[in-house]
Amino acid sequence: MTTQRTQRPRRAAITGIGVIAPNGLRADAYWKSVREGLVVLDRITREGCEHLPLRIAGEVRAFDAAALIEERFLVQTDRFSHFAMAATVLALDDAGLGHGDPADPYDIGVITAAGSGGGEFGQRELQKLWGQGSRYVGPYQSIAWFYAASTGQISIRGGFKGPCGVVASDEAGGLDSIALAARGVRRGTGAVVVGSAEAPLAPYSMVCQLGYPEISTAEDPGQAYRPFTAGACGFAPAEGGAMLVVEDETRARERGAAVRATVAGHGATFTGASRWERSREGLAHAIRGALDEAGCAPEEIDVVFADALGVPEADRAEALAIADALGKHGTRVPVTAPKTGIGRAYCGAPVLDTAAAVLAMENGQVPPTPNVFDICHDLDLVMSSARPAELQTALVLSRGLMGSNAALVVRRGGDSAR
Amino acid sequence: MITTEVTLIELASLMKKAAGVSVDPKDLEKSSDSPFGTLGLDSLGLLGIVGELENRYSHPLPPDAERCKTPREFLDLVNNTLKSGA
Repeated sequence: MTTQRTQRPRRAAITGIGVIAPNGLRADAYWKSVREGLVVLDRITREGCEHLPLRIAGEVRAFDAAALIEERFLVQTDRFSHFAMAATVLALDDAGLGHGDPADPYDIGVITAAGSGGGEFGQRELQKLWGQGSRYVGPYQSIAWFYAASTGQISIRGGFKGPCGVVASDEAGGLDSIALAARGVRRGTGAVVVGSAEAPLAPYSMVCQLGYPEISTAEDPGQAYRPFTAGACGFAPAEGGAMLVVEDETRARERGAAVRATVAGHGATFTGASRWERSREGLAHAIRGALDEAGCAPEEIDVVFADALGVPEADRAEALAIADALGKHGTRVPVTAPKTGIGRAYCGAPVLDTAAAVLAMENGQVPPTPNVFDICHDLDLVMSSARPAELQTALVLSRGLMGSNAALVVRRGGDSAR
Repeated sequence: MITTEVTLIELASLMKKAAGVSVDPKDLEKSSDSPFGTLGLDSLGLLGIVGELENRYSHPLPPDAERCKTPREFLDLVNNTLKSGA
């Protein structure tokens, strides 16, 4: 038995999902909203943002950080870390691992992806710097606004001393972090808490985003983010994200945890910032890489969670990339983009999509693409309502505004009869 | 001459404000020789308290202030500095 186990390659299983999203503060609430195609995109209500020409986003409302996070962690962290810490507890609970004082702290690592760090915290301290003087800047500024803050705080708070990492990247970094976690598990780490949450809806962060030509400045929540349509006018941003527990499959089974899915393959490429036409080739290459690592034929892909940027040139490139990589199957496979109901949470977006992919496989339903009703690309985009389907394998795609492309193949876990 | 003395009560309220660490002043008195770490205050938290006190009393504290290990050691240094300084 032991010999067989050491010879068999370790597989990376997803055993826990924690979601803090605009449309749900737990994975089950998130899935219900996603399955129903609920649209929560709305006017931005955060203080100090009202006058900015970016009107529509997915805000995480009703998130009570003080009720979920201990005060000493609250004062030294930004909202993006609050989301990540809250999602981590949900993911650990879901995995049945419990929180704090792990039996073997060196067997659990933490990896997060971040696209912008803690903008709100940073703005507050910089305002003190220029308003009152350097003596008024709090020392936690030195850790709170950095990309690595969430990984550090999650590991300290949970007592996780295994291999840790941070992917400082654009949107696609969310998928890269999951791949990194899976690689860590295959190399011997027992479990990795992995994912991303972002908090880009604060004045300074929003002003930074105004420079993105891809951002939607539409005023109507129903029109702001409609990828693959003739009316596509960019994307609406979102805050929040998801954390997963990625674990050695054997370890999970031995402790009686449900293997919800396995991380089967990943590919990543880079084709340059806002060079969307080129992303066709880059994304197709990433998909082929992910299929290759997964040992998966194009026909085995049962559903595609699209990047769905909402910029005509980028949408065209993605539709063509799917066709290039999957061949004829690319026009037949159901494609969906549930993020049109909540917006794009930067690095958090593809992790939310991965969570949705796992939940879709478990529930045998492809969720719809909210607000999108007529498309101008040769894709079988699922619209209006969820479509029942036997789903064994899902492909999740992501592209970043700075030029990264990534693809992730996840397979159904087998014993996730939820 | 500064007559105000930084008390354990003030330190407790600063620990709460600067580092989110809630500690009863009475308990702080009992554990005034315990390392800050066991009270839940890390080095950045103590640095924040030093900054608060410097702003509050408009008086710089010596570099050793942020290296103090216990509440008693810290308050002794702070109060000696404030008394002698002005």
